[in-house]
Amino acid sequence: MKVSDIILNSHFQLLNQPSTLDTEVSQLVSCDLMSHVMANADEHDALITVLNNINTLGVASLHDFSCVIYSSNITVNTDIIKKANDLDIPIIKSSLPSAETVITLHKMGF
Amino acid sequence: METFFQVYQIERNDIGNAGSVASFTKRELKRRNLSRGFVKTVTIGVYEAEINVVIHSYGGNVSLEINDQFVELIFRDKGPGIINIDDAMREGFSTASPYAIENGFGAGMGLPNIKAVSDEMEMTSSPEGTYLRIRFNIGEDSYES
Repeated sequence: MKVSDIILNSHFQLLNQPSTLDTEVSQLVSCDLMSHVMANADEHDALITVLNNINTLGVASLHDFSCVIYSSNITVNTDIIKKANDLDIPIIKSSLPSAETVITLHKMGF
Repeated sequence: METFFQVYQIERNDIGNAGSVASFTKRELKRRNLSRGFVKTVTIGVYEAEINVVIHSYGGNVSLEINDQFVELIFRDKGPGIINIDDAMREGFSTASPYAIENGFGAGMGLPNIKAVSDEMEMTSSPEGTYLRIRFNIGEDSYES
C-alpha cells in the first residue's frame, strides 16, 4: 500500500507538501528510541513515533522511510514540518496513540 | 575510484544536525555504487558514533576516508571521556543526560551497535577526550551486482 492510502482514513492528516504520496510502505515501525530504529528499520518503512523532534527526520532520511507518522495527536513542531518539506518526506499526524495507530493501519491492509 | 577525504565538525547537543556526517557518508557510498546493504551497515555505524559525540561530549570532529579498500572514520572529541569503556560497551548501559533521553537517545545501544556493524573498532578515552576509529572493509560483494 501507498502513503496516499494512509490519509484516506480520517484519523490521519498530512502535515506537509511532499512531491509525491505514491511511495509504497513496506512495513510499520513503531518506536521512540532512534538507535533502535536505526539498527532495525529499513528502506520504505513508515515510522510511527511520539518523538516530537527533528532528528526523527534525520533517521527517516538516512533510511529512506516512506513517511513519518506522529501519533497521539501531538502538535508537531513547525521546524519539523519545514525540514520535512526540505527533505521531501511525507509527515502525517495520527489522532490515535501509537499502538492504536498500528492496529488501525494493519486493519487497513498495511 | 579516487580517495575521498573530509573532516567534519560536530557540535555539542546539536540534535538538529545530528546525522549529517552519516548522510554525507551515505551519499558518497551510493555515488560509488556500493550496495544498499553495505551502505545501510556503514550508515548505522556512522550515525551512532556521530550521535555519541553530539549527546555525550563537548563537541569534536570526525575524519572520513573512503577508498577502494575501506571506509574509515576517526572521531575525536573534547571530553569529558568515558570512565569505563567495558561498561559503555554493554548493551543497555547508559550515562545519557535527560536532554539526550528526551530526544530519543541514550538507550545504551550506540557502542554495541557500532561494534556489531563495523569490521574494526578501536577506542581510547580520557577526561581530555575520546578517540574512536571504525573501519568497514570493502569487498567485491560490497557493490551492487
